[in-house]
Amino acid sequence: MIWEVFRQEEPGDRHTHCGNVHAPDEEMATLFAQVQHGRRMQTNSLWVAPKEEIGEVDADDTEFGGTTDKSYRWAITYNNIDASFAEEVAESEADQEEHAEKRGGT
Amino acid sequence: MEPAEAELFRLADDEYVLAERYTEWQIYAPTPESDLALANIAQDEFGHARLWYDLLEEEYGYDEPDLLWERDPADFVHSTLVELETPEGDWADTVVRGYLYDAAERLRLEALEDSSFEPIADRVPKVQGEEEYHREHAQSWLDRLTDSADSRERVQAAVDQLFPHAMTLFAPTVDEDEILDAGVRSRSLADLREDWLDEVVPYLDSLGVAVPDPEDVVRPEPLGRDGSHTDDWFDLHDEFTASYRELGFDEPAELRGENA
Repeated sequence: MIWEVFRQEEPGDRHTHCGNVHAPDEEMATLFAQVQHGRRMQTNSLWVAPKEEIGEVDADDTEFGGTTDKSYRWAITYNNIDASFAEEVAESEADQEEHAEKRGGT
Repeated sequence: MEPAEAELFRLADDEYVLAERYTEWQIYAPTPESDLALANIAQDEFGHARLWYDLLEEEYGYDEPDLLWERDPADFVHSTLVELETPEGDWADTVVRGYLYDAAERLRLEALEDSSFEPIADRVPKVQGEEEYHREHAQSWLDRLTDSADSRERVQAAVDQLFPHAMTLFAPTVDEDEILDAGVRSRSLADLREDWLDEVVPYLDSLGVAVPDPEDVVRPEPLGRDGSHTDDWFDLHDEFTASYRELGFDEPAELRGENA
């Protein structure tokens, strides 16, 4: 049986997925996860969850956000100006471009 | 020998030899996860052996070859429990061995928490912190191995085989009286043995595993603690010192000259 493992570095952080372990039950899964996923990295807490209990919906199943082209939400049409005078604008633009690239570009 | 020195040899040799046997499972344990978990435990035990051997170096002037590589195997004082060869592929043997040892180790460390020899007392909390995982590991496996009749039989066979050797954990060395008189360890081996029996007998009983009556157990002749050991130990010693001997420190390689 496969258990997905989620690690939290510090109290208050999110638990992020870091891998899995094979174990017959929850107790053995936590025992193995400590060694496999909590030994080398700084760890405050680990979650283990049975892989089969995790629900999933992916891009093959659905159009995330619908089929309307929402590129207008990303204001990169107006970027023919030098935004270096305002750091946060430059950061925001870089962020938007990165997302646009991930979406397949516009 | 100083009482603290004698106690340190008991501690260090037990941990070192147990780790050697655990290490033999590398890549052979039942699953990658159990392999890693046992490797982790072996590494802890090597680390603890290092803590105790380091103290022997710092306080009593030994060096590493004296303690390990060039020491006469008949001078090692570990319990015979930790030296026995693991029957091939017998995971129950390792689980039972680990359980019997870890239960005794906790009691021994508790009796060293207030040791009159401060460097020992200082190191106990670090070791205890790691031993907790070892006990959890051993008990988790035992709980599951005794779930079905087939594997419970293998646990039973391992207990029958190992229990008499586990009793040597509490066998004295010649320095036992001094160890107690000097306050190096606060409790006698007889008391520790009593507590250990009170813990392991009811637990194994609750799993449907019968423990031989300690009074009726035929003791293995070698006691470990007095330097007498089973043949398994001498083979193991030969193996782990092989590389050291092959390096030939007494005949250093020469880059130039007629022996080059």
